[in-house]
Formats: sequence, C-alpha cells, structure tokens
Amino acid sequence: MTAVWVALFDAGSEARSAAKHRRTAKALRVGEIIVLFVAMGMLILTGNRGMAEGDSLGAQLAATCASCHRLDGHDKGIPSIVGLDQKEFVDVMAAFKSGQRSSQIMHAIALSLNDGEIAALAAYLAAQPTGTKQR
Amino acid sequence: MTWTRRKFGCFAGAGCLAALGKRAARGQVHARVVVVGGGVGGATVARYLAASAATLDVTLVEPKERYTTCFFSNFYLAGLRSLESLSHGYEKLAQQYGVKVIHDTVTTIDPVAKTVALQVGGKLNYDRAVVAPGIAFKFDAIEGYDEPATQVLPHAWNAGPQTRLLREQLESMEDGGVFAIAAPPDPFRCPPGPYERACLVAYYFKQFKPRAKIIILDAKDTFFEQDLFQDAWSRHYPGMIEWLPGQFTGGVKSVDVKTRMIKTAGETFKVSVANIIPPQMAGELAQRVGLSDKSGWCPIDPMTFESKLQPGIHVVGDAIGSGEMPKSAFATNSQAKACAFAILASLTGIERTEPHLFNTCFTILAPNDAVSDAINFKPEAGSIKIKDIFVSQVGESDELRRDVVRAADGWYAAFTHDVFG
Repeated sequence: MTAVWVALFDAGSEARSAAKHRRTAKALRVGEIIVLFVAMGMLILTGNRGMAEGDSLGAQLAATCASCHRLDGHDKGIPSIVGLDQKEFVDVMAAFKSGQRSSQIMHAIALSLNDGEIAALAAYLAAQPTGTKQR
Repeated sequence: MTWTRRKFGCFAGAGCLAALGKRAARGQVHARVVVVGGGVGGATVARYLAASAATLDVTLVEPKERYTTCFFSNFYLAGLRSLESLSHGYEKLAQQYGVKVIHDTVTTIDPVAKTVALQVGGKLNYDRAVVAPGIAFKFDAIEGYDEPATQVLPHAWNAGPQTRLLREQLESMEDGGVFAIAAPPDPFRCPPGPYERACLVAYYFKQFKPRAKIIILDAKDTFFEQDLFQDAWSRHYPGMIEWLPGQFTGGVKSVDVKTRMIKTAGETFKVSVANIIPPQMAGELAQRVGLSDKSGWCPIDPMTFESKLQPGIHVVGDAIGSGEMPKSAFATNSQAKACAFAILASLTGIERTEPHLFNTCFTILAPNDAVSDAINFKPEAGSIKIKDIFVSQVGESDELRRDVVRAADGWYAAFTHDVFG
C-alpha cells in the first residue's frame, strides 16, 4: 500500500526512467480501482490515520525542495539532496536553521519547517534513488 | 458520497468491480482538472497533479507550442544566452506525467456548468479548474502606448518576440544613443526586473557602445533591492545609468511612436530605444471570467488558491492578489504546488501539509556578480504575509557574489526541469 501511495504522490518521479514510469502508470491503470477502493476501505476502518501519511507528507514537502534541487541526482550548480543519510540531513537543516551554516535561502527554508516536517523530508529524500542521471 | 456498509461490502464483490469498470470506461470515476495557461503556474500545477495521474484526468490548455521564460531573458538582452535556451515545450508533461496537452485558446469558462470553452476544440468539463493567465498591460495608462505601439517601443515583459525586438533595437542603436526604460508602478511582474535589465543592457553597452546612456523613468520613488542596484551601477557601469524616481518626473505620461519622444509630467525625453513597461493587471481571461476584482488582480484563498469570486476555479501566479508575495516565477511555482496539493486533498482525500510558500529571486548585476533574496510566507487573515526575509547586502565578497551566479545557473536548470519536466 505504501508503495502505491508513493507512486501516486511521487513528485520526484523523474528519478525513474521514462520506461519504468510508463510501466508504473500502466500497472496503476490496471490495478487502480481495486487498490483505491481497498485503500478507501482501510481509511474507513483505520480512521485515516497512520497509513503512508509520512510518505505523502514527505513528497509534498520535497516538492518545495524541487524548485532548486533536482531530485534525480543531478547536482550542477546546486547540490543534490537525494539519498542523504537521514541524520546528516536533520543535522544540516538544524545548522541552516540556527544560521551556524550560512545560506540565506536555506536559512529561510529551514526556518519554515518544523522538526516533524524535517524528519519526514529526511526519510523521504533518503529513500529516493540517486543514480539515474537522465535528462 | 456517503459511505455505507452496503457500499463498502460491494467493493469486495466482483459484480461491483465490473460495474466500476464500466463507469471507468465512461470516464466518470476520474476527477477532471482543467488547467488553463502553460506558463510556470499552469505547467507546475498540471505536473504535480498528474504525478497522481491514476486518479485524476489532467488537461493543460495553452495556445503556444513552447514557452519562453521571462526569467533570465535579460541574459539574452546582454548577449549572454540565446532565446532558444530559454524556451521549453510540453512534451515531457505529456509523455512522462500523462498530462493531456491541448494547444487551443480558452474563450470562456462557465463556473456553474463547470465547462471550459475552447476556440477550436469545443468544451471541456471539469471538477476543478485552474487558471494561470499571467499579466495583462493597462494600455490606457500611458497616452499613445497601445498594442500596435509595442511593435516600435517594446515592453519585452512577456518573453519571446518582444524580447527579440528589443535586442534587435539595442544592437542597431548608435554608440552614444540613449536607451530609456519606463518602470511600472507596484505591483508588477518581477520587482527587480527593470533594474536588472538596466544592468545587463549596460553590460552589453560597455563592450560595444561605451558612450551609450540608460535612463530609467520610474513611476515609483523607491524600488526593490535599490541599494544593491545603485551600488552595482556605480561599480560596474559608472556614469552610464541614471534613475529618475516618480517624485522628480511625475512618471511617464505619454509616448510618441514616430519620434520616440517620451513625456513625463514636466519633461520630454528624445531617446534612441525605449522599453516601455506599462502598469499591469491580471491576464485578460481572468478579467473575462470574473476572477479579478477592482484592484485588477484575482482575490484567492491563500490556503487553496481557490478564487474568492468563482468557486471551483483556482488561480495561481502573477494574476493573483498575492498580499506580500511578489509576482515572480519562483513564487508562482510555490503557489502552484500548494494549489495542486489542495486540489488533490479535495478530490482524492490525501492529507495535505500546511502550504509552504517561498520566493527567491536571483538577480544578475554583472556576469560575475549576482544577488538573491529568500523569503518565506504564511497565509494569514485571508492574505499572504512575509514571515522571514533575507536579502544580499552591499559590500559582500566577490567570491560570494560569484557563488550566487553559479547557483543562479544551476537554479535555472533545476527549476525549469521542475516546471516542464
């Protein structure tokens, strides 16, 4: 289920090859109705709590990063942030937030994110593949 | 839809799935979003919605085959970039994300019937519409500056043929000529834009027409990052750029296309090349559909970017009454994502994050000297307010400024990839 929700809301899906994306899309078209309605059933049963919330949250927050950082491993001019160790990411964001590490843009970004959001981002970005350098 | 035990039980049943299959075949299961306008706002919304293509039919309507970015078009005026390098197509949105791209013109939107009428292609039904119409110019504001006048005195404030025309005029200008920029009153697209343009045209003049002069006839008395610009003008282009605030001139009142005379309240300027950037308002479609109010801009709910005037239609980008958020590509992209996630939440039931709204403008003062600002915003009392703002300072090291140039270059590539795929 988690995988499906990641695919549905994967803002960084350019990381996958076009062919793989097409396969994903096709698979979704075939299985979507079953999956969605089972998911909806689960929402009712579980009260819409806990199910892949972190993934969707992480993907939405990562959309913010994608305005400057490519999420497919490209790092020309602006560093790549995918595949980073989660703790390292959290530490770096803390350093940007405090101003200990200097960057006006990252300072403004870090100040707008709370600890839960930074943790969700860390988990999401750590899970993204780094190797696909297609254009 | 009301969820009952009977319906839930039905989902597990094969008969029910078959019935759903038929509904899917008729296209009634997928919610439909029609996005009007293929600039940064429209393309970003379409792309982020279509990342959930399994549950949404996303259609993007845009007359042009390619979009040329306004941001970085001053590089082209300086001779530092080709216009082609600033031009982006919609193929990846269609192929990688499944956005249905229609090259047509929207004539009107019926918010009650929920239909978008196209000039050629009939009508599109929608559950949610997004309108990203950009800006329109107030052609009645400066006497003599109408649509035909733009072919002689370009605004070059939509990138493309207008930018090319301005570049051609600058190239054919004599050394020692005067280039005038009429800078508009607030609010307008790209607050640092007119002043960055002065920098980058001055960079071109310095190499090829060193006796040329630039005058900026401003409607305003102050402008964004003024200290940074004035410092850069004196360091990089001493004696070349003169800025005349509105309080001294009264602003540009009229232009004469034949003689290239520009009149302010008290003076007449005879210039070689004139770049008239008129006062602005929301794009024409917004006016026609009743999305804009007396201010000329579109009032929106900053949590969802849904119009306050036409429910079911969202508006993003330069056309909105954006409170303290500037009209920029970065801001638009940020709004578009918040809007896309709000629409997803309403149509698919995902849990959404608080909207995170940002702006960064990279401003190029010279090829080795750039500055930036970074602002985060929060929706507050129905408007958008600045929460934290950081801006480059006068006197920063050359090395830091060069780093910003490099970051700007990387940003353009990453940003346009984010928008157009």
